[in-house]
Amino acid sequence: MEYSIRTEHLTKSFGAFTAVDHIDVAVEKGEVFGFLGANGAGKTTAIRMLCGLLAPTSGRGTVAGFDIIAETAKIRTRIGYMSQKFSLYPDLSVAENLRLYGGLYGLGGGELKDRIKEMAGFLGLGDLLPRITGSLPWGWQQRLSLACANLHRPEILFLDEPTGSVDPVSRRNFWDLIHRLSAQGTTIFITSHYMDEVEYCHRLSIMIEGRIAAIGSPRDLKREHGCATIHDLFLRLMERKSDGSPA
Amino acid sequence: MMSGSRLATIARKEVRHIFRDWQTLVVVLVMPVMMMFLYGYALNADAKEIPVMIEMPSPAPETRQVADKIDASSLFSVRGTVPTASDPRELFRLHGIKALFRFPSGFARDVRRPGGARVQVLVDGSDPNLGTIIRNAAEPMLLGATLEVLGVEQPKVLDLRTLILYNPEQRSALFFVPGLMAVILLMISALLTSVAIAREKELGTMGQLLVSPLRPLEIIVGKIIPYLFLAAVDGFLILAVGRVAFGVRIAGNPWFLGACSLAYIFTALSIGLLISTLAKRQQHAMFMALGATMMPTVLLSGFIFPVASMPLPLRILSHIIPATYFLEIVRGIILKGVGLKELWTPLIVLMGEGLLLMGIAIRKFKVKL
Repeated sequence: MEYSIRTEHLTKSFGAFTAVDHIDVAVEKGEVFGFLGANGAGKTTAIRMLCGLLAPTSGRGTVAGFDIIAETAKIRTRIGYMSQKFSLYPDLSVAENLRLYGGLYGLGGGELKDRIKEMAGFLGLGDLLPRITGSLPWGWQQRLSLACANLHRPEILFLDEPTGSVDPVSRRNFWDLIHRLSAQGTTIFITSHYMDEVEYCHRLSIMIEGRIAAIGSPRDLKREHGCATIHDLFLRLMERKSDGSPA
Repeated sequence: MMSGSRLATIARKEVRHIFRDWQTLVVVLVMPVMMMFLYGYALNADAKEIPVMIEMPSPAPETRQVADKIDASSLFSVRGTVPTASDPRELFRLHGIKALFRFPSGFARDVRRPGGARVQVLVDGSDPNLGTIIRNAAEPMLLGATLEVLGVEQPKVLDLRTLILYNPEQRSALFFVPGLMAVILLMISALLTSVAIAREKELGTMGQLLVSPLRPLEIIVGKIIPYLFLAAVDGFLILAVGRVAFGVRIAGNPWFLGACSLAYIFTALSIGLLISTLAKRQQHAMFMALGATMMPTVLLSGFIFPVASMPLPLRILSHIIPATYFLEIVRGIILKGVGLKELWTPLIVLMGEGLLLMGIAIRKFKVKL
């Protein structure tokens, strides 16, 4: 099996506090993998390590086949990243934002033009290219973020809470796009705290206090724990944690 | 390794930000010119038409003639003559005068006596500079006027000839043009770069740049290049306005001045970068940059207050800030027309500081990853 992301005992400590505690995750190519957890559970720290922004304290991992400690430069050209914070330049036009991110990944000339056209068509951004980004509604800005993160055709897309503060319709559309990208072979690694939408993931993990408390497909997880929804499962795992019993 | 195309991508984006935020651009380009005119007219040390009054109990012809001479001088303007001033403070308050000349009733008689006449000058000391000007001017002026009225030739015992070098007309423009270069170049470079980087952190775009193949050094260099140009344009504007409006000519080599200015701008950009590694928000960056650049430069560089007359701790501080060295260089080039041979020490200190600060800033910038 070909893994896009694989970690072994990946750990990150900040002083006495262990943000990510020996996690083992394996994500297959083309999979939509949900990375769940309460706020402060260590999701963002884990993503930052996978993107090569943060060095792990111990353990190892590979992303797109490259080591997350030694080969971060190679990893960066093969991943796309869309953060929970809106990360476009509001004073630039839609086209300028796209050209900027394309340029950072070494795209240029006719190739960049074609990619922008293609991506704009795919996301329905065509008519908006000359518009100033800051003047667009949230849902569209978020699509543009996705377009920027995906322009260089990354093997893996890291989406850190991409659907935060977006209305339900836009959120639904967004998930459609995610699945279309996945169908094209892109691996999607997504964090979210909307428990209804994570049911759309192929597989997911639930992180509690730095550890992976459960991992599997939504259906298997629900059956295994006897829960009707992922929401219930999440709450049950959280309760178990507060009981003091091992998660 | 730096990639030219990624560098260009970042620099192009930064230029777009600058032009799209045209209000800031206008401020950046208009502010130096406005400051030139403000300093040009406000810092004018030549006081004129200072309002004064005269107390004259007995208007003898001699007394009146001396009083007329006070009024005729360009320094003073007599707002009125009173026979007696029982409450001099009242006159200062009511008429807004800065000095009161009090002639005694027997002035005309006393001046011809061996002991001479006693004239009292009350000076408003609330503005120390003006007070000093009045005090220094009053005695020679009154003495000259009195001798002239009496028709007495002033005995010549000393022939003092002062020859002022470098700024013979003592024009304040020659003094503030170098000072404003030091203040504005530092402010623009440090403030704009630190705010530009803090804005990326605030927006969250910095994280986006850091996960891309872009290297930290490419971010830094790509971001500072446009501001280097902007600061250079401001430097040019100051010199141009100085030349056209205030007649300040560069005595030395203008290319050498340009090269030294670039070294100074580089140091200033390093300060901006260093601030941006500490500041998380644009406002933090702005306050830190203003605090670290404006005040020390205006107060400690020798721009307004001479370094030599500062107490030791301030003198030490003054020798730490880069503006002090730049000011020495600019004054040297513009006023004295000297070159590298005379100015290599401050230039080396300036460049050394720049390299040191840039080194620290780049290290800190990397640690932030």
